Parts: sequence; structure tokens; C-alpha cells
Amino acid sequence: MSKKGKGFWARLEDVPREVLYVILLIVFIIPMLNPIGFPVPISDAVKKWYATIDAMPAGSAIMIDFGYSGGGEPELGPMAVAVYHHIFRKGGLKSITMSTSIEGPLLWDKVIAEVKPETYGAKYGVDYIHIGYISGTETAMAAVGKDLRATTNTDYKKVSLDQFPIMQGIKDASSFKLLICYTTGGDQSEGWVRQWYTPYKVPYLCSVIAMMVPTMLPYQKAGQIVSLTAGAQAGEMELLIKMPGRGIKSADVITLTHLLVFAFVIIGNIAYYGRKASERAGGG
Amino acid sequence: MSLLVRRQIPILIVFVSALLVMVDYFLKIPGTGPVVKDLQNWGIILTAFALGFGAVNLFYLHTRHISRRTAGQWPFSIWLLLMIVVFAVIGVATGPTGPQYSWLYNASYFALNATVYSSLGFYMTTGCYRALRARNAEAALLLVVGAIALLKNAPAVAVGIPVIIPAEAWLSAIPTTSAQRGIMIGASLGAIALGVRTMIGRETGFLGRLTEAERRGGT
Repeated sequence: MSKKGKGFWARLEDVPREVLYVILLIVFIIPMLNPIGFPVPISDAVKKWYATIDAMPAGSAIMIDFGYSGGGEPELGPMAVAVYHHIFRKGGLKSITMSTSIEGPLLWDKVIAEVKPETYGAKYGVDYIHIGYISGTETAMAAVGKDLRATTNTDYKKVSLDQFPIMQGIKDASSFKLLICYTTGGDQSEGWVRQWYTPYKVPYLCSVIAMMVPTMLPYQKAGQIVSLTAGAQAGEMELLIKMPGRGIKSADVITLTHLLVFAFVIIGNIAYYGRKASERAGGG
Repeated sequence: MSLLVRRQIPILIVFVSALLVMVDYFLKIPGTGPVVKDLQNWGIILTAFALGFGAVNLFYLHTRHISRRTAGQWPFSIWLLLMIVVFAVIGVATGPTGPQYSWLYNASYFALNATVYSSLGFYMTTGCYRALRARNAEAALLLVVGAIALLKNAPAVAVGIPVIIPAEAWLSAIPTTSAQRGIMIGASLGAIALGVRTMIGRETGFLGRLTEAERRGGT
């Protein structure tokens, strides 16, 4: 360090965080306002997810868990929207949703408002339904898997399930051909493996926030999860179903912000070694 | 209260309940199914009750802050209790998915929750700038792995540099999964040990406050 204070390298190394925040904010805002349209590769996991739903025979029931909180909505919401588009466009599938997150029913309302199932001719209670938030997380999964009606006998608006044609023949986990979970919590993503895949062998698709992926990878490698995606891959799903939405818009942001962080890491290291070199040389 | 009521009976209930659930899960003995179904539904009801109990506890804690005028805290306590009342009243009056409650949720909690969560991105960015330094061989290795993961998750970069995709896939499939499996197996063994100790009354945390003598099994 020079006698006059910090040298160039030291100052570069200790750039005030506010400067980094502003640069990140600018890089974040620009593609949000003016989408660039960077290419997006479609991963094998998303292709497998798509193929799994596409291969489902007509009349199959799908259990969907909206197990995320409001904080995860920007990441998992677009994925849920894209998957619902796929399900409704394919047609003939029964989507029965429950929530292991207390915010789930409210977030489900937002997703359904965005999907507009009526444009596909899908009707509430016939093609899709929400049976509400069920407390207890893993206990709720186990109870619903054992006997759905004993756990809840109304939908999320407290209307009797007997009034909905979609619920005919739905008794327990064995009534479902597929399980989908969107979640921000490990209790949910891992709980479904323990409570539905292991005892009933219900094929399981799981979408989590990106930081949870390493935790869930062993389950996928063991074949307990058919496909594991991060919510940030919603853009890939939107490309597959040919319906660009929030996910593909955020793909530009993800690319640019990741590149920015990569550049920051390089600059940080250059500054670190620059300072070390200048210290060795006795300068600043 | 006698030790029998405070300690032995709760432990017996835990032992029998846990044994029933395990037998039903692993052995599928027909007679246990309906009993376990009831136990699970009780669990769901108790969890829902715990939510309400949590709200009561919050009231208890924050009314104390308000009455004592705890410095830097009591105004926030008033705001917290006010919001609990507003959400509870509107939720009960219009239903938890009613339009008024949905508006309240979307306009306040949802927006704040998403904002707080997304602010993590800013902390991570400065964290990467300051912490990801190749100070030694181990740190350099972490830096390289982090850079590969970072670039693979930037969709356009993965298209431009395709070799990033199999490199990251290998990192995820082999080192990450192996390490994660080790962590999971260790945690599971710990959970099994804790479960067995709880069943046989060696872990008594769930019983609440016991005297040292009671914890040791005496009176």
C-alpha cells in the first residue's frame, strides 16, 4: 500500500458494494425492458419432463403440489404456468393440486389467472381442481397418499369434493399416474420421494429453486425423480411448448447477470494478484 | 404431577405411535393402515393448531415488548400485531382465497417476500467478487468449478461454449452427487439414532422442561 493511501489494485479489490449493486441493477434492468433474445439450449431434464407429460394416456390423474412461497414465485411460477399450458393443451388429463405451503392456494390462483384454462376448454372441477393447503408437510403427503378423502373432503374454496366430477375414482396415491412438485423447501421435494415414490412408485417430476438442485441430484440419479429442473429453466419449457413467456424473458437476464458475476470474479482476482505484486514491488 | 404422567406415559405414546407408523411404512401389515391413517390426520390437525398457537405466542411476546417500550422494537411490535389482526380478520371474513385477502397478500406480503428473496442476488454478487479468489490450490479449484457452474447456468453461454454443458454435467453427476450422498447418508443415520433414542426415552426434549433428576429417569 502506498503512503498516500490505498493503491489502484487495493481500491479495485475493495470496490464499494454499492457500485457493484448499481452495475448489477443496470445489467438486470436493460434486458427486462428490451429483451435481447439470446439463444437458450433445451436441457435433457426439461425434454424428459415434457416427454413424460406428453406420454400420459388420456384420463390419467396428476397430483401437483404448489409447495412454494411468494419468494420463489418469480422462479417457479413461470415453470408452473408453462407446464399447465402443456397439460391443458394436451387435454384429457386430470390435474389435482394441493399445497404443502400455506401460500400455495394464493399462488395457484395467480398461475391459473395467467394460464387461462378456459381458452383450452378446460373447466374447474372437471379438468383441474385445487384441494387446498394441507398442513403437516410430510405427514400431509403420507395422509393424502393413504386416503385423500379422509384428509380433506373439500376444495380450496370449501366446496365438497363430491360435487366435482374430476374427483370420481380418486382415492389415494395409487389413483395418480404422475406427481409434480414445485417447491422452495427441502421438506417438500424430498418428502414426496419418501411418501409417494418409495411406497407407491408414483413417477415424480420435481422443480425447485436453483440452489436446491445439488441436494436433489442424488434422488434423480437413483431414479426416484424422473426429471429434476430448476425453476430458472422455465424458458426452456416455454420454448418446447412454443409459448414464450416470463421464463424466456428472464433467460436474457440470467445470461447477462451470470456473465457479469463471472466478470466480477475475474476482476476481483486480477485486483488481488495486482495488489500482491505491487506489495512485493514495494509500491501501491 | 407424577413422573408417570409427565414422562413415562408420553414416552410410551411416542414409542407405540412411532412403531405403528414404521411397521405400516415398511411392512404393510393390513391392520395397521387405518390406525396410522388416523394418526397422520391427527398430526395434520395438530400442525394446523400449532400455527394458531404460534400466533398466540407472537401476541404474548410482542405485547410484552409494547408494554415495556423495548427500545428499537416496540413500534415494530405494534405494526406486527396490527398486521396479524388485519390478515386474520380479513382471512376469516372473506376466506383465505377471497378477493380481499388475495389483494392484501399480493399487495403486501407477496411483493415483500419476493423482494427480500431477490435481494440475495445482490449479496451473492458482492460475495463472489470478494470471496472467490484463487488464494491457494483449493480456492483455485473452487473458483474453476464455480466458474463452470456459473457459465453453464447462463443459457446463451452454454450455447456458445457447448463444452461447458458436459463439464458441468460431470461435476453435478460425480463429485456433487457423491458428496451430497455422503451428507444425506450421514444425516439419515443421525436421524435414525435420534428417532431410536426418542422412542426409548433417551431424548426428552419433546417433553418440555424436566428436572435433571427426571431427565435421568428419577423422580
